[in-house]
Amino acid sequence: MKKYNIEDMAKKIELLKQTATELKRISGGIQAVDRNVDRILASIKMLELNISDLVGIV
Amino acid sequence: MKPDEQYWNPVLETLPREKIQQLQLKKFKNILKWAYENSPFYRSLYKEAGLEPGDIKTFDDVRKVPKTEKAMLREAQSIEPYPYGSILSVPLEQVTEYRQTSGTTGQPVYHPETWQDWEWSAESWAYALYAYGFRDYDRVFLPFGYSVNIAFWAGHYAAEKIGCEVVPGGVLDTEARILKMKELRATALMATPTYILGMADVARKKLGIDPAKDLYIEKITAAGEPGACIPATKKRMEEMWGAKVYDQVGATEIGHWGFECQAQAGLHVLENFHLVEIEDIETGASITEPGRRGSMVVTTFDRFAHPCIRFDSKDIIEWNPVEKCECGRTFRRLKGGVVGRADDITKVKGVLLAPTAIEEVVRSIPELGDEYEVTVIKRGDIDDITLKVETAPDYKRNVEAVEQKLVQQLRLKTGLRYNLEFHDYGTLPRYALKAKRFKDLRVKE
Repeated sequence: MKKYNIEDMAKKIELLKQTATELKRISGGIQAVDRNVDRILASIKMLELNISDLVGIV
Repeated sequence: MKPDEQYWNPVLETLPREKIQQLQLKKFKNILKWAYENSPFYRSLYKEAGLEPGDIKTFDDVRKVPKTEKAMLREAQSIEPYPYGSILSVPLEQVTEYRQTSGTTGQPVYHPETWQDWEWSAESWAYALYAYGFRDYDRVFLPFGYSVNIAFWAGHYAAEKIGCEVVPGGVLDTEARILKMKELRATALMATPTYILGMADVARKKLGIDPAKDLYIEKITAAGEPGACIPATKKRMEEMWGAKVYDQVGATEIGHWGFECQAQAGLHVLENFHLVEIEDIETGASITEPGRRGSMVVTTFDRFAHPCIRFDSKDIIEWNPVEKCECGRTFRRLKGGVVGRADDITKVKGVLLAPTAIEEVVRSIPELGDEYEVTVIKRGDIDDITLKVETAPDYKRNVEAVEQKLVQQLRLKTGLRYNLEFHDYGTLPRYALKAKRFKDLRVKE
């Protein structure tokens, strides 16, 4: 299990999430931004399920 | 292939058992809290039981959480917000996909998907398809109706996610689908066992195409009904197509929850996304040991719009005696997959009968065709059971010998004596999706 750096990956995933959320916050309500960010956030959630949820377990 | 390349997620799929359970408990608490805080249905259910999310601390506590079942979902959907009712746990405007159950057992249950939940559906299928060997070089053909039922929709998006080239065979008829698979040299296929057998039949009889020799299919995902978990049916499918056939299980309310690996030695539960419990059908007692069949109670962890918590699915399952699988996955396995439904298991002449046992017998006799039909009626106080079978297309002689074999095997596998009817090949009903071959007419008489 050591060969996969779960904690570092989780940090990058969190950074992606923060960036996407911030982008939506400053979008000024442009739908072309907000709706695509929603999709990006859904994909980021899958990264969390696959990686971030394992922090503290492996 | 390097060892880790056989897994969609090598970390999760090979976690030690105690780590998997640690993850499951954390996720169970999370979805319970979410449902309590966001779904009027669940909040009311738990308040009535005097339960709060913080009460759940161990796996033993999980069994204190009230179960749900399809009738409760239907009832909850009779109120606002239409059409999902009080189970809906997100604002209605976040719902981006509509699905519904097939309605085989009554009024369909409506299922809302947000973008995130839909992404989850594809993700869960990706674990299975990757385990079967689907890769980015595969051309995957999907011969289903792309309609309101979930069917293989998530399989479509999971195959895309893996990087496969997906061919939607939606409105084409069976013959056109077969010809398109041949034309495009499709390498993988997803369908119900009934349709997998039916397509092979049409290919041979109507088009003169032998799927095992003239097509390029190497692997098949079989889902939607038992079949790939019934050895005789799986054997027929694999021989007809010259391909490996993998069993996959799921339901609209639950999502995809189990798959076979390439060892084909039972069904792995997708334990990072689900908690599967088995309960004794009559007493409701928990079954944790192998060797005893019971009804599945399942929780889906990470699907938030329409939570599924301790859902009594009525699927009959049994834990596998051997925990370690040669594929290296640590997800616990079921013996033989979903072997029936609690709704279908019925007493005939005082004997518990699972219709899948009849299928196992019929399809293990090469002189018989794939189709069959079972009817139970009451004559006075006595149950009367009739089995209609077809002789295989090229077999016409010596029906008596086949009958003898059938009677013997049925007695051995089901403990019952049947009225047998032999029909010409092609005369019993054919089904495109879920077949209804068992007809219990006793209540109606």
